[in-house]
Amino acid sequence: MKSKIIARKLKLNEMKKMNNNNNKRFLTEGKYVMMGNVAMAEGALAAGLEFFGGYPITPSTEVIEHLAKRLPEVGGCCMQMEDELASINAVIGASLVGAKAMTATSGPGISLMTETISMAANLEIPFVFADVMRNGPGTGFVTEPHHNDLGLIRFAGNGEFQVIALAPMNCQELFDLTITAFNFAETYRCPVFIISDAYLGHIHESVNIPSKEEILEKVIVRELPSENTMKFSYKDMNTGKYVIPKPPILGTDHCPIMFLHQPHRPEGMVYRKSLEFTEMLFEKIRTNIDKISLTEEYKLDDAEIIIISYGLPVRASYRAVDFARKEGIKVGIFRLITVWPFPDEKVKEIVKDAKAIIVPELNYTGVIAEQVERVTQLEIPIIRIPKVCELHHPDEILKVIKEVVK
Amino acid sequence: MSGLGPTYPSEKPEHPYLSISLPGHLLGVYTSRFCAGCGYGIIGHLYNRVFEDEKLDPKLHPMVIGIGCYSQMLLTLHFSSQKILALHGRAPGLATGMKMANPKLKPIIFAGDGDALGIGGNHFIHICRRNLDCVIFVFNNSIYAMTGGQGAPTTLFGATSTTTPYKMFENRIDGVNLALTAGASYVARTTVAHPRTLMKYFKKALKHKGTSVIEVITPCVTYFGRKNLDNLGSEYLDIKGEKMDNAGIMIDWIKRNSVRINQAKFMTEVELFNKYVIGEFRYAPNKPEYSEEYAKIKKIAMEGK
Repeated sequence: MKSKIIARKLKLNEMKKMNNNNNKRFLTEGKYVMMGNVAMAEGALAAGLEFFGGYPITPSTEVIEHLAKRLPEVGGCCMQMEDELASINAVIGASLVGAKAMTATSGPGISLMTETISMAANLEIPFVFADVMRNGPGTGFVTEPHHNDLGLIRFAGNGEFQVIALAPMNCQELFDLTITAFNFAETYRCPVFIISDAYLGHIHESVNIPSKEEILEKVIVRELPSENTMKFSYKDMNTGKYVIPKPPILGTDHCPIMFLHQPHRPEGMVYRKSLEFTEMLFEKIRTNIDKISLTEEYKLDDAEIIIISYGLPVRASYRAVDFARKEGIKVGIFRLITVWPFPDEKVKEIVKDAKAIIVPELNYTGVIAEQVERVTQLEIPIIRIPKVCELHHPDEILKVIKEVVK
Repeated sequence: MSGLGPTYPSEKPEHPYLSISLPGHLLGVYTSRFCAGCGYGIIGHLYNRVFEDEKLDPKLHPMVIGIGCYSQMLLTLHFSSQKILALHGRAPGLATGMKMANPKLKPIIFAGDGDALGIGGNHFIHICRRNLDCVIFVFNNSIYAMTGGQGAPTTLFGATSTTTPYKMFENRIDGVNLALTAGASYVARTTVAHPRTLMKYFKKALKHKGTSVIEVITPCVTYFGRKNLDNLGSEYLDIKGEKMDNAGIMIDWIKRNSVRINQAKFMTEVELFNKYVIGEFRYAPNKPEYSEEYAKIKKIAMEGK
């Protein structure tokens, strides 16, 4: 029964070879003008994407359009499925047999896909999910940006689990952070989201593509688990530390007895102690939060007013801060690149001496502002600048800064 | 499936395929979680038998199992076959991803009537349309049995269920006709009362390149049989039926209620109402298969400039 031929191993080796030999996977080093969605697709290809399953939805359609042409060239597969439910399931299926897989969608699509996202979180199947957000609720204005899925992403699906969400702010970052997203997915084995929006997805900007060697250095390649870890995931009983083994691959010897999306023991059998299992899903992220939470600081050393933001509003904030500094107002920016998990400790440290916090966001309720309120325990005034379907103008942010100073 | 089922004494029964089923092999538990008179035991047994006869490579034939009573077959199927439990109705989507990411695989999908023809109807249609190389079993017990006997899209006209307490008045869906229309290249229907035919069809499907849909009529005594009379499907004869409250009557009813495809040609619509037509409906081995066609596209793309 136990044949020595491991079908999958062959293919993995082939893939590695392809990574080295197939030049089509990587664009020639240099400067390109790219659309945001295309930059994301190219980033995914550079990260070793092998399977893309999607369903056209404005404003994410360019991702599937670009990959339908590019993926077969590098020996991958791009499928347009019958609906979002099937496309996310196909992505999970591809990831189960050892292919790096991703999908891209927008608001109405993600609400359909949540069912399978929670299943993938339970089975700890790595995959990358690009959410090119558009206005809502319902159909909304399909070509306008609106960061209204942030809460949905955080609690994507039934059950409790932790996700990682990265928020790029320009096309260069869409390329770079997509590679990071794939690496996070491979390492931490949880759903990883890329937060983009209708404007960022359609903007044309210059993108610096690094050389092939530089990219390959960064990319974590999917490998077979080592001999002793044909297991899902487990807590080391001796040290109490959470050890994340390589994902099991269906069609090889390194596969648990069965994949059940129930709280499971390391070998894949049902485990009645659900609390321990749920804890595990959170602990694996929490214990590695230093590596996961990416942030950026701008003129924060002596800042009294702090702007906390992510995504497109940060670009307007940079300009507003430069103007304000010229007038002698001490203001700085704390930018979240990793939005989920929210970096509680870092934010606490940053806002220690602040007099006010300004949170410009592309939504009405202020999902991140709520998080800041939670962390600061309402000791510091928090001013929201809500915007929906249009971008912040630097003058608007500057006006708020000046009002705060008064 | 009724809860955990009664716990029979864990004596090792005499059975040639006992050692290859999971509980018997690993846990030393020899009880089944299926109700008395259930057909899934027979199907699990037949799967194991084909698995051993054909010496299937478990690595190349992953099992994708949907949600329903048959999910419990996870425990009785061959211990070395690789199994994954899919979400309700989404098994075809999952199998598509597996097949396309590793074209050497040939997934075997277990789906129920609610799974494949109800919630997952769209996925079922489109996997047939693509003619993706896989085997799909549709287990039709004409009821949602795991949740306690609600009406299904396949429930026979006039039958009683918990959500149709007076009588079923909706038209039923025909899985075989749906698969034929959608374009599956091997379509057959059989029942658990014809186990050798089932094995024959399964073996044929394993050798076939393309989507093979095998609908299997199985009895559900607990939730379907107990509430219905065995004159279902022979209303035109105007006979008084009796309750199908044990496996014998139910299997008899299935045998009586299924008509061979050759015979069905000479029967009227009234006579075929509520009956199951069994046999092979289509075998088209030359129809282009999706993953092979995609490989050609890949070749074009890779050779292009």
